[in-house]
Amino acid sequence: MPSWKSPFRKLTLDRQYDSELHFHIEKLTEENIARGMTPEEARRRAALEFGGAEQIKEELRDVQRFPILEATLKNFQGAVRFIRKSPSFSIVVILTLALGIGANSAVFSAIDAILLRPLPYPEGDRLMELQQIHQRVQRPQTRLAPLRLEDWNRLNSTFEGITGYYTEDDSETSGILPEKIEVAYVAPRFFQVFGVAPTVGREFNSAEEQFGGPNAVLISYRLWRRRFGADPDVLTKQLRIHEHAWSIVGVLPASFAFPDRDAEIWVPVPPDAPPAQHREWGWYIAIGRLKPGVTVDQARANLETVQAQLGKQYPQTDADLTAGVVPLKETTIGGVRGSLWMLFGAVSLLLLIACTNIVALLLARGAQRQHEISVRLSLGATRFMVVCQLLTESFVLALTGALIGLFVAGEASDVFRGLANELPRVEEIHLDARILLYTLACSVLATLLCGLFPAIRGARGHLSGALAQTSRSQVSARTPLQWFLVGVQVALAVTLLGGAGLLLRSFQALGRVSPGFDPQNVLTLHITGSYGETADLKKLQSRIWRTLENLRALPGVESAATSLFLPGVPFAFQNELTIAEEQTDPNRKIVTETRVVSPSYFAAMRIPILAGELCREDIHSVNVMVNRSFASAYFPRTTPIGHHVREPGNPFLPGGEIRGIAGDAREEGLNREPAPTVYWCLSAPSPDPYYLVRTRTEPTAMAGALRKKIQEIEPARSVFDILLLEEHLNDAFAENRLRTILLTLFSVTAVSLACIGLYGTLSYSVTARRREVGLRLALGALQGQIVKQFLLQGLAVTLLGCLAGWGLAAASSRVLSEMLYGVSPSDAPTLLTVVLLMLLVAALAALMPALRAAHVDPMQVLREE
Amino acid sequence: MPPGGVMPIEKSDLLQGTLDMLILKIVTLGPIHGYGISQRLRQISQDVLLVQQGSLYPALHRLEKRGWLAAEWGESENGRQAKFYRLSAKGKQQLKKEESNWNRLAGAVTSILQTAQ
Repeated sequence: MPSWKSPFRKLTLDRQYDSELHFHIEKLTEENIARGMTPEEARRRAALEFGGAEQIKEELRDVQRFPILEATLKNFQGAVRFIRKSPSFSIVVILTLALGIGANSAVFSAIDAILLRPLPYPEGDRLMELQQIHQRVQRPQTRLAPLRLEDWNRLNSTFEGITGYYTEDDSETSGILPEKIEVAYVAPRFFQVFGVAPTVGREFNSAEEQFGGPNAVLISYRLWRRRFGADPDVLTKQLRIHEHAWSIVGVLPASFAFPDRDAEIWVPVPPDAPPAQHREWGWYIAIGRLKPGVTVDQARANLETVQAQLGKQYPQTDADLTAGVVPLKETTIGGVRGSLWMLFGAVSLLLLIACTNIVALLLARGAQRQHEISVRLSLGATRFMVVCQLLTESFVLALTGALIGLFVAGEASDVFRGLANELPRVEEIHLDARILLYTLACSVLATLLCGLFPAIRGARGHLSGALAQTSRSQVSARTPLQWFLVGVQVALAVTLLGGAGLLLRSFQALGRVSPGFDPQNVLTLHITGSYGETADLKKLQSRIWRTLENLRALPGVESAATSLFLPGVPFAFQNELTIAEEQTDPNRKIVTETRVVSPSYFAAMRIPILAGELCREDIHSVNVMVNRSFASAYFPRTTPIGHHVREPGNPFLPGGEIRGIAGDAREEGLNREPAPTVYWCLSAPSPDPYYLVRTRTEPTAMAGALRKKIQEIEPARSVFDILLLEEHLNDAFAENRLRTILLTLFSVTAVSLACIGLYGTLSYSVTARRREVGLRLALGALQGQIVKQFLLQGLAVTLLGCLAGWGLAAASSRVLSEMLYGVSPSDAPTLLTVVLLMLLVAALAALMPALRAAHVDPMQVLREE
Repeated sequence: MPPGGVMPIEKSDLLQGTLDMLILKIVTLGPIHGYGISQRLRQISQDVLLVQQGSLYPALHRLEKRGWLAAEWGESENGRQAKFYRLSAKGKQQLKKEESNWNRLAGAVTSILQTAQ
């Protein structure tokens, strides 16, 4: 019973000791009185005979205390002594664990920061993204009109507040050169909903949130440091955007990074501004903060009711709309969940392999220590005490491994942040108390995984028998188990390697596809523009035409085009269209991908025109091009050329005439087969489309000239994100690349560990069987036979492990199926290659011990007996 | 107390295991308190073995902790509260083991002494 459990318990124990000992003294006193002494004399003699009662009590306390604290302390001292006594063994174990635990903690730190933690705002789990859903289109989520946002905020009963935002890349022109800055335009209540207050200055006041009120902005901490050197007088400064001066009223905290980490200026949008009075214009992505205790489902039901009510009130604009509620964390994280858990599964397997390796090492070690343990048992130690002692040794090893593992994790998560800078929330990854705790838990788990079985086995020895036995016979008795462990390691390593192989193969397959367009020698760039320009579409169109003409006129430029989306970067924009010339047939659904491009796009991307002619762009009508898939899917017998397509429910886009058929290109992502696609030929679909410039020479060398030219014709705008199209395509698959690199790294480590395990076990077996080998050599066995025998033993186990691993890989391939491209999850060539590779590496690992066995000197071995 | 004939059991003199075994043996006779045990030891050994209380009580508590003795508080013959110890099932087995070990050891020692003569 632990004496430290409670002070009361200690008190009652003490009282019990007192009365037990006191009873004894009284009996002695009675005895003395019976012998004829006076009571005082009798008591004195009794006390004298009994001795120091206090000292005895102290010993009684020790009886209670000793096993818990002192034994633990003793075990730890013993463990440290044991580690010092066998440094090479300990170093191998500690490093293996450091690697396993470190990698595990690093991946966990990413999972913790990205998936598990709430968003970094006060009670961030109550923040929701509110979606306006258009029931009649395939890509239903549309942006919210300011009027409707205010309606939702006023009529709902489940949110503390609803706000919204949209972003724009604008030019800030107070410096010598215009600087591109990401501006977030925010609806009222934005900072209250997030629960964030400026670190310097104040939020917007009501005058600033009214149309015609003073121009006010909040700036990011980063911009404050960069542009103003963290000057506390920043509130007297102004910025220039869209030819207007904006007063800085506050600086937001460094941790605030919403809508994204590039946002630098927050500008209030007055809800009473004239352009904001149209119910059909979508502006905002809406964010709401749930009232405490409200569930997502309740909020969704409430918002649907509100929108249904609005549908009755404004049938023309609101009838087809409904509302959705999704936790903001989900939309922030996006699709990385699967990749992260897959990687976590992989590092956990790695840790398991590391532990298996250590189990084998500890078993071998335990066999050598059998004698020591038998001595301890015969000296009165219980088996439980021996198990505790052996477990303490494992725990000290695991703890040391975990501490080094923390450093490994720190380095690894730096590397991870570098590799994964495209992932959401990656800046929030850091090592803290939670990761420390997790690492500690890992080391306890590793102790139990690695240590429990060898400890129980180690303590199982026969008391008298083991002392008498020779060490040799016990050693060989343990080998089958160690071989089993080697097989397990090989199986797990093959599982990981199989996964990595499949990911590598799909990466390769992705590199081999012919995209249908030519991404080489194409520069992409942006020029700042504001949504305010959409008020005068003609002016916007002529600005972009002028820019394109100027770019084309530059020497070295072959063609220049605009596009709403980048070709090959995964992005689907599906729509349902109708053909004006056809009777409406409810069974005929024309679903297409939508692209909006300038007519020059086809030349710039080298997408061939197969039939008809290139579309033309003029003010009065819209032309479209379709791809070959569209033609063969919807006009298998006739030609689509000359027909008019319409997008029902889109009041802004008039019907377009199909002018020609273009070749199929993988527009929606290199990993997707071309889908039926309609290209709307509009150069200015937005104020800030992508510009695509095909150069005759090295494209990066042209960047400066392009920038200078745009500066010349548009002095108030800035050029930004000048990147090769090929870089965009690379970035688009960054997550893909990240998980491929990491899984490959993990599986290579796993294979190395398995080989170390094989090497160790075979070496051990060779040492244990030296006498037998020596004898056989002496009797005329050939060295080759000995080598073959040991090599085959190692390879047989490896082969069995490989087969088990193949089964495991096949069973777990479902995890990967979503991440693969161009290769099936049970692809036999890949798995066969993996198995062959494993066998080859295993053969190399087994060769050295096998050769050593053949070089046993028979005379020496026989003499050792 | 015959002078000169007393042999106190000190921790250093006799193996601790021996004292444990003796206690277990005495306790087989029925529930008994610490004072009673020391009396019995002295009586049965005809005043040869004298157990110091400083050894007796820690041993009792250790045996109780190992589960070989069970203890409970009860009234002594003169009506006072005393702690009574009795042998548990586990203790019975342990005693059997220790007795046979002791007999083997004693037999071995005796035969060595006889051969040496």
